Amino acid sequence: MGGDHAGRMPVARRSDTFVYLTLALVLLAALVASACLGAFTFTPARIASYLAQGAGWTPMREADTLGRSVFFQLRLPRVLLAALSGAVLGVSGTLMQGLFRNPIVEPGLAGTSAGAALGAALIFVLGGSTGALAFSAPLGVFAVPVLAFAGAFAATILVYRISSSFGKVNVFTLLLAGIAVNAVCGAGTGFLSYVARDPQARNIVFWSLGTFTTADWRGVALVGVCFAACFAISIGYAKPLNALMLGEDEAAYLGSDPRRLIARLLVVNTIMVAATTAMVGVIAFVGLVVPHALRMMRSSSYAFLLPASALLGATMMVVVDIVAREVIPPAELPIGIITAVIGAPVFLWILLRDQRSGSSGYYG
Amino acid sequence: MVERHGVERPGTEKRGVELRDVSFRAGGALILDRVSVRFEPGKLNVILGPNGAGKSTLLRIATGLAHATSGDVRYDGEPIAGLASEPLARRRAVLSQHVELAFALPEADVVLMGRYPHYGRVPTGYDLEIVNRALELVGMEDKRDQPYPTLSGGEQQKVHLARVLAQIWSDASAPGSAQAQRFLFLDEPTSGLDVHYQLHILKVVRGLLSPGCTVIAVLHDLNMAFEYGDHFVLLERGTVAVNTSDPRAIPAEVLERVFRVRARHLQTQGEDTGLWRFEL
Amino acid sequence: MMKILAVSIALAALACGRGDVGHGPRVVCVSKQINEFLYDIHAESVLVARDLTSVYPPPIKTLPSVGYHRALSAEGIVSMRPTMLLTDGNLGPDAVVQQVRKVGIPVVVLTPGSTPDSAQLLMQRLGKEFHHQAQADSVVAAWKQQMSDVLRDSTKWAAGRRPRVLVMHFGQMVNDYLGLKRGSTADQLIQWAGGVNAIDSTGGMLRLTPELIAKAAPDIIIATDVGFDRLGSAAKFASLPGVALTPAGKSGHVYRVDETEVMYFSPRTPAVLRKIADWLHSRATSPAQP
Repeated sequence: MGGDHAGRMPVARRSDTFVYLTLALVLLAALVASACLGAFTFTPARIASYLAQGAGWTPMREADTLGRSVFFQLRLPRVLLAALSGAVLGVSGTLMQGLFRNPIVEPGLAGTSAGAALGAALIFVLGGSTGALAFSAPLGVFAVPVLAFAGAFAATILVYRISSSFGKVNVFTLLLAGIAVNAVCGAGTGFLSYVARDPQARNIVFWSLGTFTTADWRGVALVGVCFAACFAISIGYAKPLNALMLGEDEAAYLGSDPRRLIARLLVVNTIMVAATTAMVGVIAFVGLVVPHALRMMRSSSYAFLLPASALLGATMMVVVDIVAREVIPPAELPIGIITAVIGAPVFLWILLRDQRSGSSGYYG
Repeated sequence: MVERHGVERPGTEKRGVELRDVSFRAGGALILDRVSVRFEPGKLNVILGPNGAGKSTLLRIATGLAHATSGDVRYDGEPIAGLASEPLARRRAVLSQHVELAFALPEADVVLMGRYPHYGRVPTGYDLEIVNRALELVGMEDKRDQPYPTLSGGEQQKVHLARVLAQIWSDASAPGSAQAQRFLFLDEPTSGLDVHYQLHILKVVRGLLSPGCTVIAVLHDLNMAFEYGDHFVLLERGTVAVNTSDPRAIPAEVLERVFRVRARHLQTQGEDTGLWRFEL
Repeated sequence: MMKILAVSIALAALACGRGDVGHGPRVVCVSKQINEFLYDIHAESVLVARDLTSVYPPPIKTLPSVGYHRALSAEGIVSMRPTMLLTDGNLGPDAVVQQVRKVGIPVVVLTPGSTPDSAQLLMQRLGKEFHHQAQADSVVAAWKQQMSDVLRDSTKWAAGRRPRVLVMHFGQMVNDYLGLKRGSTADQLIQWAGGVNAIDSTGGMLRLTPELIAKAAPDIIIATDVGFDRLGSAAKFASLPGVALTPAGKSGHVYRVDETEVMYFSPRTPAVLRKIADWLHSRATSPAQP
């Protein structure tokens, strides 16, 4: 590797490792804090003991059955689900900004989250009616994620089709189509929550603002698997994503197939976001703020941004979850509200800083 | 790179870029009509013509970005239609008129993108060395860490030139395919730039000419084209109006018809300077 | 003698081993109705926490709240170290029930049904569960007596023209007024009191627009506490859009009840019935008294 060539490297790879380590350590600290805090307070030592018992290294202790159950059944899935959701949303924002060559894109804007929400809401509201049961019963517990996929796919494909109807993907049209699809899906979900009879309405209202309350191991597994697969695929496309920054023609000249790249990564992105939305509801701003912060902090190269946004997104979401639980106990604030309260000012700050440094119009 | 000017080895009829009977139809309109032309290595081949003559389309087809409706394009006698994108990218590079880059990357990172077709995940020491040398060649090595958006228009274009050169860098000391032919396309690379940058870029390009490299440039400034070019193809509404290596052989009437101006040679002290003077 | 002592001590030790915290049941109950019943049968000592909306009878407010019954958190409930989560089925999000069970805490769902009889059965079930059968039986007996008395009286209320009554409840989740349809508990009270529900349809609750209110044209409006209190007085309530166009609004016949008085059947129901009947049948005399 050309690490020591004449002491001059275009991209300092060793410092990247240092940044990853720092981000990972911060994430670890956040995870420990989140695991400790809550209606039940655990000390790190207690957690270590639980984990050892769970792994079978030390025998189960009868005395603290309740605490241990709470930790393994409620706390740990929640902490992990928050981290995984944050990683998904962070990476998704990075991916979409790369695909659309625009720093103001995130899964919400392209209609993906809204479509997933509509699909899930359909099951919440209509799933009990006899007509729908014939369809949803065989899916069983997967009815919600599957419908969320379907909704997110439909929305994303619609947006993609509208914006590439003349053979090329037009970024501007893509954003406009995303806005339109968002409006339609939002109206659909709103309509469903309006006509919903009481039991279903409970679910939609609570979930549509984002929540980790109902986290369980199944949700962790679903989001975890989707994230791992989609991330592994995306990171292999780091180079073409970088090339895409120069434009589709330039990317083609450099040997990639931009349209296929965009199609593939959109599919991958949709899977991740749909799974997450189905489990935790609609959460915005993470995909917008995390890549921005990383560009400002370090580099716009996707080889760096993709793994870093997974780490930083996970950290952000874990911290937000702590805030959600600790501000007005025992009640919880919806996650989406907190991310908006944190995300909007940070976004404005980023814009202002750009303006002040005199570098109008570029990001990083 | 070894510098040679206009040298052609014998037996090189198949070398270079050849367009055979290329036509392109879009939306009912015939944009290119049976264009047949050969661009030889070792020369600065120039494509000229007014807007709408089909220059951009011709370039997009010649570079392989677009497919001709009929006819084919051959590099060194081999049709490029069947070639995969990445191997082609190792031999063929294109400098576009204007590349929009909204994100802040250091200059050197932009040039490194030129090496993407050559490495897998991580650039080798050789790749990084080429980046340095390409930057030196265009005279931008002292700003290698500067963020791209802070550069002036001319500096940005030089960075892209460095990137493009890095893409098809060919070294006597390079491992492996040192014999492979390279193809460099330039699409109005100097438009909108200060005179200093225009001349600098053309000078660098001329310095690249060698039997191993076919260079084709679309230029809009006729006089600059005639001064720096070796071979000229004038496009008029999708067909070839002129195809010659001798600019003086181009009749003024042709220029007048194609560009809708009055044209005459510029003379100073009775001597023909080879430059043209245009008036409406 | 020593043997008896030894056996007694052994039995006592066994008894002490029962129960997680070893001091008897610890119940988290997130149902207004069940909480009220527990106080009725004097079994309230089993309670360790309630939900946000359980505020009757007033002493219950000293208990910690685990949040709104439709926005619960399993951890918040479990942190009370309960031996049981008690609910009437109306709680959310749905996953909370499974989560609490997963941690090893039983969730007991007691549905109150839709008649006074089923509510009384619920109370007796509570008595059995918490070893207050005697108290439950005596409360239920008195309740049954009062109900039959008032129902006997209700036959004379039903004679004559039945005024149209609209019960308006304020839904905090939707931030809008909801009308209770036919088939609801409040509707049953109206019928017994000799009125007729101004809303034609059957089911749960209807989202009220000014037009729907005007179309229903009630002679009497009964508003639950939160919805009434946000306006402050019957006069202000009567000036709400839609309400102002109704006979009830024009004549000022707007009355306030506590939500807990009309949403479910309880030992207070006979008294509430008489109160409502009074409003319906003496409306010729005076404007509303809150």
